[in-house]
Amino acid sequence: MSGDQSGRVTFRLTDAVRLGLDYIKRRFSRSVINMASIALADSFLTALLLTDLFSGSQLNSGSIGVDSPQFWLVLVALVVMVVGVTNSMLISVYERYREIGTMKCIGALDQHILMLFIVESSIQGLSGGILGYILGLLAAIISTGFTIGFDSIQGVSTSTLLFSFLATTILSLVLSVVASIYPALRASRLDPVEALQYEL
Amino acid sequence: MSYDRVIELKELQRHYEMGGDTIKALDGVDLDISRGEYISIVGPSGSGKTTLFNLIGGLDKPTKGSVYIDGVAISQLDAYELAWLRCRKIGYIFQSFNLIQVLTALENVALPTVFAGVPREEGSNRAKKLLESVGLRDRLNHRPTELSAGQQQRVAIARALANDPSIILADEPTGNLDLNTGMEIIDLLHGLNKTRGLTLIAATHDLKMIKASDRIVWMRDGKIEKIERG
Repeated sequence: MSGDQSGRVTFRLTDAVRLGLDYIKRRFSRSVINMASIALADSFLTALLLTDLFSGSQLNSGSIGVDSPQFWLVLVALVVMVVGVTNSMLISVYERYREIGTMKCIGALDQHILMLFIVESSIQGLSGGILGYILGLLAAIISTGFTIGFDSIQGVSTSTLLFSFLATTILSLVLSVVASIYPALRASRLDPVEALQYEL
Repeated sequence: MSYDRVIELKELQRHYEMGGDTIKALDGVDLDISRGEYISIVGPSGSGKTTLFNLIGGLDKPTKGSVYIDGVAISQLDAYELAWLRCRKIGYIFQSFNLIQVLTALENVALPTVFAGVPREEGSNRAKKLLESVGLRDRLNHRPTELSAGQQQRVAIARALANDPSIILADEPTGNLDLNTGMEIIDLLHGLNKTRGLTLIAATHDLKMIKASDRIVWMRDGKIEKIERG
């Protein structure tokens, strides 16, 4: 018999990513809804940020300060996104009660189940974030282009764009992970005996 | 060190508190099970079969008494050691198969090898061989929904064998199968018990399964009522 003889079970990050991708693929429609909610919130934020950036050189006044209504709208969009992701992850946990119980029967530790759900949510957060940035960028280009003129957009450096891309995508990722902490903890702490008897 | 007694149950008790009442799901069970034995556990529902199973499998902790597997009291094990035990020493077979729906037959069978730290390719090869040995050579890349009930239970049996365990715990393995398919599964399990020297413990109502076993343990009200030779 080969493998680890030291008496430790293993579950690597790559295993979690592979399994997480399988879950996303097989439950594609729900994953798409999740990603769309992340992408929408992200694109809203991106559009406001970039519109501000594109027109900043001309108007020299920020439109996304704490005192602006847009700030609060973006905040609400992000909160709605977090709540939505938490909700759908919770459903996902309930649907997988037996599978979680089974995994614990064949050697999974609590932290492996935790990692599986967090990884799955990270993948959704990352892809939603990237998609959201593209949408937000397009929206900002169109809205600034037709109001102030496309010239103003060319004044923004690539590094600024790259920075805004990283910032909003990382925010999506982090919020997606935050949203999945409670469902993932719940899944990881499931008692295998109870989980196996669960009937949906 | 290899013990001839692979499982020892000593004054095993499991009580539940329910609305102020104490329910004695198991009320003092003593049983020694030898390596390679085929044991059927029989009894009406509520007799403590499932509780006994969960305790032997390290899924539940006894209120009193101990379960020894290969001479080790499993209540002494920490979460890591317990997970290792479930992963390497015990194979579980369930009434409702409990396959992971998003994975193919091959991936389902290979999953326990992932937790056991076996390299991916080796785990995959092992899974392929096991699936061939249960007669599913041409179903490797099918998902559970594309397989019949009998085929799903075969996948589950192959999965239970993935890390070459010494004990197989089967909870009503033929409960969701028709007569003929159930018979095939019994033959398969019996064959594994004989050829691999696996200790097979099955909770069952199925007379055909009971007939094939070495010993029959009759449970009633959380106690062993009688033990018969098969």
